[in-house]
Amino acid sequence: MTLLDERAVFERTGVRTGGALAPVDGRGLRPALFARFHDLARLRYDFPVVLAAGGAVRTLSGAVDAALRDLAPRGAAGERMRAAALRVEREVRAAAGRGAGGALSDAWTSAAARACADPGARADALRAGAALGIDGELLDCDAGMPARLVTHVWLAANDARARAMRARIDLLSARLSDLARADALRSDSGRSAAALRAAVAGPHRDLFDFEAMSRLLVAPSRAPGMTARRRDRIAGALRTLASERFFGGAPSRYLLAFGSVEEARTAYGSLAREMADVVRAAAIAELEAEGRYVDGEHDAVFAAFGPGSLSPADLALFPPPLVRIAAEAGGRAARAEVLDALAGTAPVKILLETGDAFGADARLAAAAVALGGAYVVQCAAADLARGAPDVGAALEHRGPALIAVLTGVVPGDDAPPPYLVSAAAAASRAFPRFRYDPALGRAERFALGAHEQPGTLWPEHALEHAGDGGERVALTVRFTAADAALCDPRWSRHFAEVPRSRWDGIVDVPSAQGGAAGAPAGVYAVDRASRLHRLVVDERVLDLARRTADAWERLRELDHASRPAPAPPAAPAAAVAAPAPAEPAQAEPAAEPAPAAGDEAYIETPRCTSCNECTLLNPRMFSYNENKQAFIKDLAAGTYRELVEAAESCQVAIIHPGAPHDPSEPGLAELLERAAAFR
Amino acid sequence: MTMELAGCLLGTAAPHSLEDYQKGVTRWCNGCGDNAILTAVQRLCRDEDLAPERTVFVSGIGCSSRLPHYMSTYGFHGTHGRPLPIAEGVKMARPDLHVFVSTGDGDCLSIGAAHWIHAIRYNMDLTVLLHDNRIYGLTKKQASPTSPLGTKTNTTPKGSYLPALDPLSVTLGVANVSFVAQAVDWIPEMLYRIVAAAYRHKGLSFVRIVQRCPEFMPGALDPWVQDPSRTRLLSHERGVEIPADLAKVYRERREHDPRDLAAARALAADQDTIPVGILYRDDDAPRYEELRGAGRLRTPADVRRGLETELDRFTIGAGA
Repeated sequence: MTLLDERAVFERTGVRTGGALAPVDGRGLRPALFARFHDLARLRYDFPVVLAAGGAVRTLSGAVDAALRDLAPRGAAGERMRAAALRVEREVRAAAGRGAGGALSDAWTSAAARACADPGARADALRAGAALGIDGELLDCDAGMPARLVTHVWLAANDARARAMRARIDLLSARLSDLARADALRSDSGRSAAALRAAVAGPHRDLFDFEAMSRLLVAPSRAPGMTARRRDRIAGALRTLASERFFGGAPSRYLLAFGSVEEARTAYGSLAREMADVVRAAAIAELEAEGRYVDGEHDAVFAAFGPGSLSPADLALFPPPLVRIAAEAGGRAARAEVLDALAGTAPVKILLETGDAFGADARLAAAAVALGGAYVVQCAAADLARGAPDVGAALEHRGPALIAVLTGVVPGDDAPPPYLVSAAAAASRAFPRFRYDPALGRAERFALGAHEQPGTLWPEHALEHAGDGGERVALTVRFTAADAALCDPRWSRHFAEVPRSRWDGIVDVPSAQGGAAGAPAGVYAVDRASRLHRLVVDERVLDLARRTADAWERLRELDHASRPAPAPPAAPAAAVAAPAPAEPAQAEPAAEPAPAAGDEAYIETPRCTSCNECTLLNPRMFSYNENKQAFIKDLAAGTYRELVEAAESCQVAIIHPGAPHDPSEPGLAELLERAAAFR
Repeated sequence: MTMELAGCLLGTAAPHSLEDYQKGVTRWCNGCGDNAILTAVQRLCRDEDLAPERTVFVSGIGCSSRLPHYMSTYGFHGTHGRPLPIAEGVKMARPDLHVFVSTGDGDCLSIGAAHWIHAIRYNMDLTVLLHDNRIYGLTKKQASPTSPLGTKTNTTPKGSYLPALDPLSVTLGVANVSFVAQAVDWIPEMLYRIVAAAYRHKGLSFVRIVQRCPEFMPGALDPWVQDPSRTRLLSHERGVEIPADLAKVYRERREHDPRDLAAARALAADQDTIPVGILYRDDDAPRYEELRGAGRLRTPADVRRGLETELDRFTIGAGA
């Protein structure tokens, strides 16, 4: 049997026959393109991140770059500062990688002491540290990172929401208290001698006769106070607003974090009545504070108001429950619960962590998009710093949301760090970043995150290595789903190493059935000493690659479908030049209704200054329009004499008497003479 | 943020009509220009659907200052020369209210001149209407700061001795000025549009309204009322739109960018042709109430805490 057959047999069966193929387990082999990433601490990448105030998530390298841009002048002068800051950044990164954590400012100070022996450099580094402009907990890309990052954003959003609501509720409470206090002071008991006495400080009490004062106050002011119903309503609303537990202090911030959907459902359901009470009390308070509560109209609405009446807008006032389903807590039952919750309307926010880029949990986000009403974010841990704004939007969404994160934590002592595993899954399209926002229009709803070479299935990279004779060999290598699988020791047994002598004829992992055309498919790998190896894969890996390619293609279709169609070619010139519908002619001003029918009296209404002269003279003849400007309402309701007198007394001379209405009116000749000036 | 439920229940109320803002019968003389100003603000309240309980008209003393009596809103007929400090106090305590100030040429430019200058500088969000009839009418004809040189009045029987003060030029010279406009009472549509623009401006909008006094200055403004060419309408995309029918009558127009302070000062100095429109506006001028965080909630508990903190400063401790 030839070696070629052994490779083919391995591909079909996953079994190494003969002695040529070597097992891969436990040898720390990684995709060849990761050759430069053996020591992450020496790289400037997205981690650690800083959980800054207000829910912001910033990368350490981004913050350092921004500080240096402002602080270090270009050229040699700034070089010392730059070198010192970058040295400290590397030290901070290394410490975070060892699990140091803590606040950035502390970590920076202690790292500066370790990394910069020279006092000048240390001073530079500390200045750069002071210029970072942000502070907060440092977070490396480890198993706990996704939960801490999402919780950070969630708490900040809750804080902002609670501050706004607290301010509103405080204002309403103050206004209701004012009403209640005013009512108490006006009541008989408020004006009783005892109450009046209590309002005056001790030394002066003897100066007054409170009994007489009370009689004087009570007797004449029999104005009715509040009705008992209104008093109770206001007191009830005040009690509810004072005792609410959602927008107050620290304990309420953790009222709604859960470990399973079922737990959240139970707890949230039992809180719904409290939420309904707060919404009702606040609405009553709004109406009462405006003095617009009408018993007959509003009683029925509020009597019927219960947990079932809460609208999405009402629920959006409260912190949404956050459910974290850790990677080990996933599984079939959890998936069913998640889909069930996402199909509902309650604004439950689910952080679904998974450690397996090829498992069923990793498919859930794409499935959830089809539900339509849930906000969905899928993001590998390595991408999470960039995906944080999507996480924020998911938490703000008025409805359920799924945040699916690939942690990159895989079993095995020689497993690559979570950052690399999750980055590999994202780069190989096995776990691409996307978000689906149901509140947006068709063109924007679905968006794939930024990916390398999004137009191709597997991104291509140049790989150079030393050949047998030490010469430089340049290759173009695709980063495939098989490379992502190689990062996960659970898949090691589906890879087998091929000796150097038989590297020929191995093709890249294909994307479709039959793509390999009989030739064995494989990947390039490196070991810890950066030696290049060639591995072949078995049918399971090929199947994985095909499924990944399919899923990526479907996401791209969604992405394209939601993009706006390319603009149609410019309309032919003739169409543009088509005669536009004739502009309606500028409306002739109503100001001068030139008396066409001879010589009728009229007023230039738009020029009227509302001075009341004419309307006082004869309110039946002259009247005001909706803008309180005069017009002749009824010519027959007055005499020609009144018309002429109105014209004479009009300060802006806009009344034109025209010809007399009644030719038999006495003294017409004289009136016509006086009217001539206004006709 | 209004609770959706309350907003829904409140939103079912019918919009207000002009009559909802009217109150009583005006006691101004027949033909008085104050009526035109009253009508303009009532139209504005209706068209903006201002809630009467959220609207305040503050005034000082004079014919102009009777205006709050005829508005079915909140009103404060204040002390002579002090409507602006009162209005500033209202705005400081209740920034949610729409605050208007009606003041006259005596009230604002004479006894209230100090408050006028500083109110312009404070630039709080008030709409100030200066009813300028150039005479003290309420006290039956005495010279005011804007009476033209030579005006014969009870205090100046041989004619007034000094040239008139120009309120526009003075206002345009104050630091942090943010909105200056001029209107005339006998072109009601422009008056309405200018007052509306002033209301919409965030900051102190100062509108000088040249106003006829038929009782004590009869015919004094006739040369302008009767000759449209002596009124210059200011047009600009940032200014007030001129209706087509007025454009036919008032052919004297000037394209004027209200951001141009120097040009505004030149326009204001023209005594012969009355410019009507927005002379100057700066939407970015800082507003005092915002700088000082007005409207912060003061619950009774806050007030008590503040008082006790103050009083504790005088506590005499028992021990050393």
